[in-house]
Amino acid sequence: MSQPAIALQSVVKEFPLRRGTAVRALDRFDLQIADGEFVAVLGPSGCGKSTVLRLVAGLDTPSEGTVTIEGARPADLVRGHRLGVAFQEHALLPWASARANVELPWKVAGRPVDTARVDELLELVGLTGFADARPRQLSGGMRQRVAIARALALTPDVLLLDEPFGALDAVTRRRMNLELARIWAEERITTLLVTHDVDEAVLLADRVVVMTGRPGRVRHTESIDFPRPRRTEVTRDPAFHEIVDRLTRLLDESDEPGHSDAAA
Amino acid sequence: MSALLARVPRRTVLPAVAGIVLLVVAADAIGRLGLAGAAWPTVTDVVDYLTSPTAQTLLGRALAATGTAAAIGFVAGGLGALALALLGALLPAAGPGLDRLAAVVHAVPLIALAPLLVTTVGREGTSTVIAALAAGFAVFVAATSALASTARAGRDVFAVLGASRLSTVLRLQLPAGLPTIVDGLTLAAPAAVLGAVIGEWFGARRGLGVLLVSAMQNVQIPLLWSAALSAAALSLAAYVLLVALRGWVTRRFT
Repeated sequence: MSQPAIALQSVVKEFPLRRGTAVRALDRFDLQIADGEFVAVLGPSGCGKSTVLRLVAGLDTPSEGTVTIEGARPADLVRGHRLGVAFQEHALLPWASARANVELPWKVAGRPVDTARVDELLELVGLTGFADARPRQLSGGMRQRVAIARALALTPDVLLLDEPFGALDAVTRRRMNLELARIWAEERITTLLVTHDVDEAVLLADRVVVMTGRPGRVRHTESIDFPRPRRTEVTRDPAFHEIVDRLTRLLDESDEPGHSDAAA
Repeated sequence: MSALLARVPRRTVLPAVAGIVLLVVAADAIGRLGLAGAAWPTVTDVVDYLTSPTAQTLLGRALAATGTAAAIGFVAGGLGALALALLGALLPAAGPGLDRLAAVVHAVPLIALAPLLVTTVGREGTSTVIAALAAGFAVFVAATSALASTARAGRDVFAVLGASRLSTVLRLQLPAGLPTIVDGLTLAAPAAVLGAVIGEWFGARRGLGVLLVSAMQNVQIPLLWSAALSAAALSLAAYVLLVALRGWVTRRFT
């Protein structure tokens, strides 16, 4: 592996509370993601996994340590409009159509809208017939798909996914994940996904990083070698379930009180 | 107007009509029984007066003058306040200063400002300027809070897209804040009418404020009440129009 696409080196993130006290969300957190690799960060809620994503997105800065993307600061990537992010809340513009929402990254970047690319993205996420619909006319799953199309709009160098399907019901979520696996197989962008859903992480990622409870650290790394494109058969593979079971156990343990070294 | 009324559910129309009838009957009774003295006319006296052609010309001209001053003041004050609020959103360093300026301007009683304005912008311009100040403050407060209260999720999306501050304000904060800004407009419209009437007290040539002052000094009770009712009707009409606009904006922007 040459220079990693994304590198977090002994990152510490503390959030100040009252005077003099602070809560440590991340403690000497290390993570390297290679170019074109899909890494899922898996952790119990409140373990700081969303903080990892916000640091990589440049929405927060680390208290200690460094976060670099392609050797530069995240802010530089953002300034070049080369970052795509899909959040748990779709945050679509409610007054704009699905098409206008996908066009937003071009407008914000001050570039002419690539209509052909917009059409292609709407087709990729299966919303060609809903281009003129406003977000509230779409189902929850459709809104998330628009948000993912928006994140992919400018063919970003790095894609960040913060539980993009976290607010959906289990059936829709599973279908969305299979769809995301298909979309990703076509785009192959360096991707960081944070989630607490083990199936989702194992289905989508090349590598799954399990975090400890707060303060978050890397507890375990698992390489996932199922061939791509991954379809629904993968989820029936006994090897898939074996990995899911093992990671779920790790997750349960890191969730137990007293196991994390928060008190230290 | 009919489209607006069509949207009002029947359930709320009946009690409203009953309330208005009750109010009119009570006002008439107080006038007939002389409960509030000679200055409280019967409703029929006022209606009689309102139907006379001389009264209609007089009130019509006054309504037009006050309406014009209030409308110009409303538009100018609203646009000015919106521009200031946008400036505050674009230059966060200027925000607190602008807030304080608006609070200071608002703290000066409009009635104390009027004589000052008469000597600077003249008798005719005073009512427009006071209407603009009264409307502008309501719009400024609404717009400032509207622009500041954009949901964090939306701001995060614009931040990671590398949006400039101007682009974020125009493409996100302003459209997201429109319903709140229109809320401010519904408060600003009656304020503009009130401001225009107050401005006219200080020697304007025509307007409802002039009629109010002269009717009071000459004990023309039906005229006094007719002028007051006209001012209230003007306020109410502006309010109803803006409530309809608010309904449309809320449907379109949320």
